[in-house]
Amino acid sequence: MKRVGIDIGGTFTDFFFWDDETRSMTTLKVPSTPEDPSIAGAEGLQQLCRQAGIKAEEIGLLLHGTTVATNIVVQHKGARVGLITTRGFRDILHIGRKNRPLNFSNYQSLSRQSRPIVKRRHRLAVAERISAAGDILQPLEVEEVRTAVRTLKAQGVEAIAVCGLFAFVNPAHELAIKAIIDAEFPGAYVTMSHEVVPLYREYERFSTTALNAYVGPQTATYLQNFATRLEAAGFSAELHLMSSSGGAVSSERARQNPVSLLLSGPVGALVAGIEVGREIGCPSVITLDVGGTSADIGVAPRGELRMKHLLDTRVGDYDAMVPMVDIDTIGAGGGSVAYIDQGGMFRVGPHSAGAKPGPACYGHGGERATVTDAIACLGWFRPQALRNSGLELQPQLAEAAIEEQIAGPLQLSRQQAADGIYRVITTHMVEAIRVNSVAKGYDPREFALLAFGGAGAAFAVEVGRQLHVQRVVIPRHPGVGAASGLLNTDMKYEFMATVWQDLSRVDGAALQRAYRNLSGQARDSLRSDGFADGDIQLLWKADCRYRGQGYELTVEAPAGATDADWAAAVSEAFHRAHEQLYLRRFEDKAVHLINIRVIGVGQMPRLKFATAGAGDSSPQAALVARQNAYFRRGDSVGVFDTPFYCRQRLKSGNRIHGPAIVEQADTTTVITPEATAVVDELGNLNIGFDGGAA
Amino acid sequence: MSSAARTPLQTLVEAAASTGVGNRIERDWTRVEVDPVTLQVIGGATKAIAAEMAQLLFRMAYSSIMRESRDIGAGILDCSGRQLCESDSTPMHCGSLPAYIKGIERKLAGSYRPGDVILHNHPYHGASHAPDFGIIVPIFLRDKHVGFAACTGHMVDIGAANPGFSVDVPDIWAEGLLIDSARIYRAGERNQALWDVLQDNVRTPEANAGDMEAMIACCRLGARRFAELLQKYGLDTVMSAAEMWMDYAERMLRQRIAAIADGVYTAPDGWLEDDGKHFGKALKICTQVVVAGEDIYIDLSGSAGEVETGFNCPFTGSVLPTANFAIRTLLLDEALLAEEVPQNDGVFRPVHVFAPEGSIFNPRYPRGCEARFVQINRLPDQILQAFSPSMPESVTAGNSATVSCLAYSGANADSADDSYWVDIEINEGAYGARCGMDGLDAVDNLMANTRNNPIEETELNTPMRCERYELRDDPPAAGRWRGGIGAVRRWRFLQPVSVGSTGDNRQQDPPRGVFGGHPGKPGRLLLNPDGERPQSLPAKLTDVRFERGDVLEITLVSAAGYGDPLQRDPQQVLADVLDGYLSAPQARRDYGVVIDPPSGLDLPATEALRRQRAGGN
Repeated sequence: MKRVGIDIGGTFTDFFFWDDETRSMTTLKVPSTPEDPSIAGAEGLQQLCRQAGIKAEEIGLLLHGTTVATNIVVQHKGARVGLITTRGFRDILHIGRKNRPLNFSNYQSLSRQSRPIVKRRHRLAVAERISAAGDILQPLEVEEVRTAVRTLKAQGVEAIAVCGLFAFVNPAHELAIKAIIDAEFPGAYVTMSHEVVPLYREYERFSTTALNAYVGPQTATYLQNFATRLEAAGFSAELHLMSSSGGAVSSERARQNPVSLLLSGPVGALVAGIEVGREIGCPSVITLDVGGTSADIGVAPRGELRMKHLLDTRVGDYDAMVPMVDIDTIGAGGGSVAYIDQGGMFRVGPHSAGAKPGPACYGHGGERATVTDAIACLGWFRPQALRNSGLELQPQLAEAAIEEQIAGPLQLSRQQAADGIYRVITTHMVEAIRVNSVAKGYDPREFALLAFGGAGAAFAVEVGRQLHVQRVVIPRHPGVGAASGLLNTDMKYEFMATVWQDLSRVDGAALQRAYRNLSGQARDSLRSDGFADGDIQLLWKADCRYRGQGYELTVEAPAGATDADWAAAVSEAFHRAHEQLYLRRFEDKAVHLINIRVIGVGQMPRLKFATAGAGDSSPQAALVARQNAYFRRGDSVGVFDTPFYCRQRLKSGNRIHGPAIVEQADTTTVITPEATAVVDELGNLNIGFDGGAA
Repeated sequence: MSSAARTPLQTLVEAAASTGVGNRIERDWTRVEVDPVTLQVIGGATKAIAAEMAQLLFRMAYSSIMRESRDIGAGILDCSGRQLCESDSTPMHCGSLPAYIKGIERKLAGSYRPGDVILHNHPYHGASHAPDFGIIVPIFLRDKHVGFAACTGHMVDIGAANPGFSVDVPDIWAEGLLIDSARIYRAGERNQALWDVLQDNVRTPEANAGDMEAMIACCRLGARRFAELLQKYGLDTVMSAAEMWMDYAERMLRQRIAAIADGVYTAPDGWLEDDGKHFGKALKICTQVVVAGEDIYIDLSGSAGEVETGFNCPFTGSVLPTANFAIRTLLLDEALLAEEVPQNDGVFRPVHVFAPEGSIFNPRYPRGCEARFVQINRLPDQILQAFSPSMPESVTAGNSATVSCLAYSGANADSADDSYWVDIEINEGAYGARCGMDGLDAVDNLMANTRNNPIEETELNTPMRCERYELRDDPPAAGRWRGGIGAVRRWRFLQPVSVGSTGDNRQQDPPRGVFGGHPGKPGRLLLNPDGERPQSLPAKLTDVRFERGDVLEITLVSAAGYGDPLQRDPQQVLADVLDGYLSAPQARRDYGVVIDPPSGLDLPATEALRRQRAGGN
């Protein structure tokens, strides 16, 4: 099949074309069109087809990663949302979990109050109440609902979130409210809490439902625009979208459940990294995806995506109870600013000079010394390094900024100051990775560290050395990693329900019904995507916790009879998971099964790259320049006569001893003095330390 | 103005306790130059150690109070008890660790051995209050004792007279087990007898054991990480860098104190409702703040004497960290700072407190002192009030400045044994209005910062049904910026329930408005509000029984307004009316804003009315 991954970010839109038969690929990077991202998406796709020499209708699958939904929330540009809820609970979204993000602050603001997703005037309560057991304690007052809907309509809301207490146990009232909205206000985007996330925890469920309504209308419009443009250009393949859980979903599902697209942006690179890890025989990977303002850090032990803890699944300041791949974002990138603060302390980041004006050496009027300027000062970038992005670097501007702002005040040489900036920023990255790996019980020596993004390869070797990872790997095209990751993504549909049972005395029949019901929904979704039943995999999961604890861990559950043996197996899986994450198990404590989940997986073929041309150990043929650059060795910074190589001309088997720089259109790899890189059969740079090259 | 006689400055300087360790520093290492980059790297590493300790603790702990409420603190301290770093968990724990170290040093100084683990909770020797257990692990580099890894955590139950909260108790022994500097591990070997005693005398042995094991693991991890750091950079470099970071934090705070004019700043006297036994007998709080150069002295003289119940505040473990919190939050507000100022000994050094022995803020052994949060949370509010006239752009109007805690318990209906359930609820407060910003509604205030329990969880777990959880109906305290609105919560009991609580409804002394802002609104506890005879209850209940079908309504305090309501932006007043915080007549009455429901805001009429009101003053 011919497939294309389309990753649309704020600045660039990346394309990755792949033909499974010929194992050939074509990549393309075009500027994004933020006013309507589907313009660059559709036009770039046509350009890509011309470049690859294929016709639009030959493409069998389009996989799309988009930040559209995330940006709506971050920029606060969503729909005007109304909310209909249970009487007595109008302010659940306003109160939230009642905590505040900062401990030492009297002047902080709370977005849920100062910039609510649903204003209080649009939050209307109606008489209705369902008990924890699902009984109707107070029947729905239909007339009140009708009045509420008319009020919201008159107020000009575009979307309505329907959020009732205990609707996840008994959705009758939410369904009845929706029916009234459909009758009174046809055309409104309606979303019900028991559909978006049928789990207990009213604040998180309501917040997720409100976010779904908030991003819903515009996401639907965007998807419609894209589909229309693609159709007009002769593309017949249906668009599938990357979700925050690391699986792809159909456009239809994305339209109904757009909240599942939130924060899906950084997932592509991690998925791409997992596949590279599999290729090189080191399935446990850490990905370091660095751009201008931030670094995304992903950790996948044994190639498995880890999901975030419920307490951490939020977009900006808004909480969303949806499965999200555990990716940490820190304010450390090429544009991070270095400065001396009021107390005389030397600081790097988290503030960034951004894309404009950018680092001083871009010559776009940026005056502040940044990490990129430090790198330029150390001589690792030749002026033409970013020529592909239409940029001629001006190292003298970097030197002036660092001299004046850092080296002078700290009484250091320019190179010592630049090296200091580089050390501090890499230390930030190392600590962020440690918190997400070592601190969670994983041994970095079993992991490969993979660089992605335009800037990841400038830091990965040093970060990897400090972390003591098994090796550092620079994939072939780190700059379009997310787009290639899309093509390694399976179709995934996740359905869930709260069941709340004690595993020592399960109601097996009820559980079986619940799992079967979810399985049916997952199967139906994959059938609509054209998967035959034999190609559909149904994974059963169980969210468990010890009695009295407040949060669950998700573990795998055997798909089959839900009897005492099954419960014992799930208990044991939970004890094990608890021990892995929290270092201990409580054998005598009752284990409660809170939620169940079924994930339907439709497996997609993986990219199988052709092997790179073989060469001998000498990289001499790829040498493009030799010039002075500064590196730290031990305790001091020294100047080295440093070779610069062209990535495209490297052959498998080539061995590069640091210090050295490898240049390619989408990134620059910095190989420090202690490191040695070997080009593997697939063209990846494998880097080890102290002669122990991978 | 305060009726308290002012303590002369010289007496105050001599009598006041620094919130920091002070001058008793032992250095058996050499201070060396540390380059700015290494300084950053070591600063980042120590911060990461505290973060990793806390992360391990709340992931490994058993009880919800540690796991989700994050009622813990963790950090590394040097041999003198100076804090090098502490996790950013909950304010009540931040800064209490040095007092625990001071407490154990009385008995154990010089006798530490590798593998020791020390447990301490004595509130008259540094503990914040008895339920806040402290675990301390000495750190060794080779054979040399170089510091401590320590953490504090709130135990679910420590064997007090009643489950949950009980204010009306005679002395400290009624508040649970007291453990004074006890080694629960001696050179790596567990003292099983002590361990068993600890579990045999509490209502929640499994949770306590789980939580203590987590705390021990947390400290051992911290000790290991810190030793690794020392091995990598050397003792001299690490400790010198740590001192430079302390000096930095101190410098940042001193710079800001120096910018305040020297002088005495006095808060209006505050009043606490009662001590939980003598209802109707209010307790006075006197607060004077003396700024002298780069130092701040907080004088609590004149405040009420110690009380007969558990409603006293341990001085070193609770009052000192709270005073520090108040100053630090006022002068180094995280939301306004470009850089993070680390939590270490430096931020304590410029802040000193005096409370006469035998007062409610410095009680004498063996007074009960478990229920201290209500009084403690008034201190930052009092200090804000003291600075209010002189620092209008940094202070808040009066806060809810209390904490409403309720513990519900009852017999487990479906259980064969005679076990019972307990549900702890820490209710929210509200922030006073700020300069340029309305107060925060229904949120934990000042020293408190925990999460609520989902209603759906409580109903799935306990025989209680929530009938209401919303913002209060009455309008917020008016002001150019309005006060934060308190919440209201209603529980219907489906089985007989016993309730213990601590709190303060601020009925007689509501949060103070500033610069013309209106005062906040008191809270109340009301039994069966829709019944024939609704009954008002005090905020502090000790083992009060309710029947099946009873309804308890808890209305939380609304905070005060800031500035003249006539200066509030009329568009904001309109927004408040549209959002249902105010009625149109209230907008007219309190803000002089004319709103005509069909046509909306009537600006000319508003201006005329406001002119007339201003003229009338």
